[in-house]
Order: sequence, then C-alpha cells, then structure tokens
Amino acid sequence: MAGFASMGVREIQVGLASKDFSAREVAQAALERIAKCDDEVHAYLEVTEELALQAADQIDEALASGKSPAEIGPIAGVPIAFKDNMNLKGTHTTCSSRMLESYVSPYTATCVARAIQAGGIPLGKLNMDEFAFGSSTETSAFGRTHNPWDLERVPGGSSGGSAAAVAAGLATVTLGSDTGGSIRQPGSFTGTVAVKPTYGVVSRYGIVAFGSSLDQVGPFARSVEDAALTLNAISGHDPLDCTSQPVDTDFTANLAEGAKGMRVGFVPAFMEAQGLEPEVKAIVEQAAKHLADAGAELVEVELPNAQAAMSAYYVLGPCEAFSNLSRFDSVRYGYCDPGHKDLGSQYEASRANGFGPEARRRIMLGSYLLSAGVYDKYYYPAQQVRTLITADYTRAYEKCDVILAPVSPRTAFKFGEISDPTSMYLSDMFTISINIAGNGGMSLPAGLGADTHLPVGVQLIGPQFKDENMFRAAAALEQVYGKAPLAPAFA
Amino acid sequence: MAQHVTERDVRDIAEYARIHLDPDEIVQMTVDLNSIIDSLKPITEYDLEGVVPTFHPIGSLSNVMREDVEVTSFTQEEALSNAPARQDDCFLIPSILGEGGDR
Repeated sequence: MAGFASMGVREIQVGLASKDFSAREVAQAALERIAKCDDEVHAYLEVTEELALQAADQIDEALASGKSPAEIGPIAGVPIAFKDNMNLKGTHTTCSSRMLESYVSPYTATCVARAIQAGGIPLGKLNMDEFAFGSSTETSAFGRTHNPWDLERVPGGSSGGSAAAVAAGLATVTLGSDTGGSIRQPGSFTGTVAVKPTYGVVSRYGIVAFGSSLDQVGPFARSVEDAALTLNAISGHDPLDCTSQPVDTDFTANLAEGAKGMRVGFVPAFMEAQGLEPEVKAIVEQAAKHLADAGAELVEVELPNAQAAMSAYYVLGPCEAFSNLSRFDSVRYGYCDPGHKDLGSQYEASRANGFGPEARRRIMLGSYLLSAGVYDKYYYPAQQVRTLITADYTRAYEKCDVILAPVSPRTAFKFGEISDPTSMYLSDMFTISINIAGNGGMSLPAGLGADTHLPVGVQLIGPQFKDENMFRAAAALEQVYGKAPLAPAFA
Repeated sequence: MAQHVTERDVRDIAEYARIHLDPDEIVQMTVDLNSIIDSLKPITEYDLEGVVPTFHPIGSLSNVMREDVEVTSFTQEEALSNAPARQDDCFLIPSILGEGGDR
C-alpha cells in the first residue's frame, strides 16, 4: 500500500471506510517500513508483528460486519507504538536497561490497553533513555536512536524512540512519558506534535515509575488532531491508578475554533534566559505574532519562581526515582548477578551491574537527599518551592488561557556533544516547571531554525485540566505552519 | 566547588542504596554528586518561611476507596514468571546471612 508513511489518522480511516485498503494492509505497510528504515533510526527495541496483524484482522472483521472506523474506536486501524517503559503483556519491557533486559510483561498498562481497545495496531516498543533518565536517548543500554532529521544528532529524550518513530513515519502515532520534558523536548528536536497532558488525565498503571508525582503519559503525532484523537483514546479515570481523574474531555472539540479571542500569555523573562539560542527565540516570537494575527490577545505574564523549578526538579526527581527503583531486588524480577553466596552481595552486584551510570547517579543522589539531616535542607524546601510555582501558574491563568514559551533552548545536538550531566539537565529548563505544577504542555512544530535548519517546537502550556486550551491554540498555529512533515530523508 | 559529600560519604550512600561501587567509581561518583548538589544551591536560598509544601501536583484530591470485592490477580505462576531463580512455588535467594555470618 503506497503512501502509508505520511498518512494521518483521518486518511487511514477514510481509506478503510472506502475499502481502498484493509487494516491488515496498513499493518503490513507499517511493518515493512520498519524493516526497511529502522536500521538507520533505531527507534524500535521490539517489533510485535504478530500482535499487529492480529489487531488488524480484528479491525477488518469489525469493518466487514458493517462498523465504521469511528464506531470501532478513535484510532481504529492506526499503527501505534509504545515507549519501552509501558507494559504490554507478552512483550519485553526493558526501560532500555540491562536491569530489565529479559523481563517479559505479565500484564498490560492501562494506556496501552486503551489504545489497542480504541483500534490502534500495536507495532512494538520504542527506545528511551535508561529508566527515562536523560534528554538524548544516549543512555539506552541497547544503542542510541538517531534523529531522522540528521542521523548524526540525538532525537532528544527520554522518549527519543517515540519521537523518532513518528518523524520517520515508522508509526502514525506513538505514546511517550514525560517527567521533566521527556515528551516535549524530543517533540521539538524531531518536529513532531508532542503532548504532556495535565497530571491525572492519563492513567499511569503499568508504566514503570520514575517520579510518581511528576510522570504523565501522552501522545506523539504529525498533526494536532491525531494527537487529540490519541489522547481521547487513552485518557480518563482508571480504578487501578487512584491519581487518574474522571476526564471525559473531547480534545478535538475546539480544534476548528481558531485563536480569535484567546488570551495568550507570554513570559518576557523566558525570552532573556541564558542559553536560549537566537534561532529558537525568533521562532517563539514569530509564533506569538501568528497567534496575534489570528485574533488572539497577547498578554504579558510572570512566572517569577520558574527558575527555581530546575533545582526543585533535580531534588524531587532523584528522590522519587531512588524510592521507585528500590524495587529492583534481583529476586522477583530483573537482572540477577550470578554466583553470590549471600543476599547482600547479590543485591549490591545486581544493582551495580544492572543499572547504567546515569541511573546509578540518580539513585545515589536521591539516597543522599533523603538522608537524615539533608532532607530538611533540600527535599522539604523543594516541595515548598512547588507551592510557589503552582501559585505562579494560578496567577498567570487569571490573565490568560494558554501560555506560549520555548520548549528547548536549542535544536537537536550531536551525539556526545553534551557529556556533563549538569549541562544535560539544562535542556529541560522550559519544560520542568510544568511537571512541578502538574498542568499540561505540548510542543508544536514551528518550522526550522534559521541557523541550524533543524526543527524547533514552540510550547503551549494550559491550566490544569484545561488541556483543550493548548490544543486549540496549537491547531490555530498549525493552520499557519501546516501539519508536521516527515523528516526529509524519510519522506 | 563546595565539598558536599566526601568519598567516605559516597561509600556509605552506596551501601544504603545497595549499589556496589569500585574504588575508582567512588572517586568519579563523588565528583559528579558534588557537582550536581552544587547546582541545587538555589533551593537552599529561597525565603520559604511559612510556605506550605505541596507533596502532590493536584491539590484538592481526597483519598479514593473502592468496594472491598475480590478481583482476579496474578496466578502464582505469573507472579513467578520473571523470577531469576525459583524453587517449586517460591522465589529462591541465597543465604541471608552468608556463609561467614552477617557483613
């Protein structure tokens, strides 16, 4: 079947409804493309051919029984793939770590189950930074993923495989997870629409936890509507995650409304931030102008405590990770270093050899920060700073409906270009405060940087549980920029 | 750069975290941790007198209870399916105390 790679959800569903092709042909086209192109990109860690064809056949049966694609589900017949921290029964779920190299999921994450229930064709599992600790996907124990726009560069991270797969047309949509920017930053680096919804919109059940008060699942797509349809499929309350909320928003509902009458917040201090590249700044300013041209009112807002978000995050993230990763005990599942005569040395050797350097560093940092006498100096104040940051956003949203900001201070960097951990952390400077405050943010592709000629995303940030606001503004901007193209080498 | 943790501290932290580090890894980890902890300095410099901490991003939630009804869960076989070592229906571990007594 020709032209699969550039198709969106609607095009696939129109083709299915008019019998131009079957769901099985869609699945086969996607699998063939992965076989042909993924050697260069290395987005996939596992391809689930059998599951994909099985799901496709079920959709073809439903279509043959007279159901329309929309009746089958919001993403019926759409090839989808999942970040490898999401459990899908019978597949490996490695988190790109030696620790889980041979782990086989005995159950399925709610977001994955819902995506398949909604008609998604599961293509496989996608590369990531080990346990989602990173911003480049270079820390994967199973090889790095290449940015489809320039194979010498990183796709961003930690959901680098999810972003690269969509940019190269190796899936129509994918799911990623975002703890400090891990959906939005790779979205910006690969020119894909990448959404971190408000905390609680999507169930976290079955996602390997990193920072439990920060983690949220969201979609990657090549159009705002495809991202919204995917979020429709996976969102809502789940009895298995008590932090998930009874959200029944249709995220596609106001995509056609345009920006007229919207109040768009603009944070002047962000534009003066150290490290923000001029080409990125220019694109954010241009996006503001486009929104104003479309009838939005630009409003200056302040987020005075946003700069404290970085240090709060690098306290809270490692503390929560330290706690979550204590479950890897070499006994119930995960890597077990062989030949030890006592349990203590088995624990220590298994965790030393199972976790990579960045995971070990974060566990060590979290252990230190939560130790007696240190807790009061860092952890407690970080939670107090969280109150200030949340209050900043609440105040800002009295004046605006959505905030426009940069995603990443720069475009995709080359492999190995940033080796110092503290510098790597800076690449999340504009995304982290949103995880701290719990609201939603998304990266919308806004063209190529004037200097590097690489994709630049702009960030739209909504109030808590008003994610439809950012979708509406993003759809208005998409009218100007057009839908996200495939990376040229893969078009 | 300030010395927040010594190599001795890092050895102790590694022991709490149950991660074996070789002597050269202790040296590098001490450098890395001191650099990262240094970058966290802003958090210690805010005037936070009287600010209530937020432990969870969504503030106004109450605890959720479900009906106390039986639901299907993993079978024993499923629960053991990823165990590195097992004996019959149990996880198998080496001696807790080791051959030479506790460490």
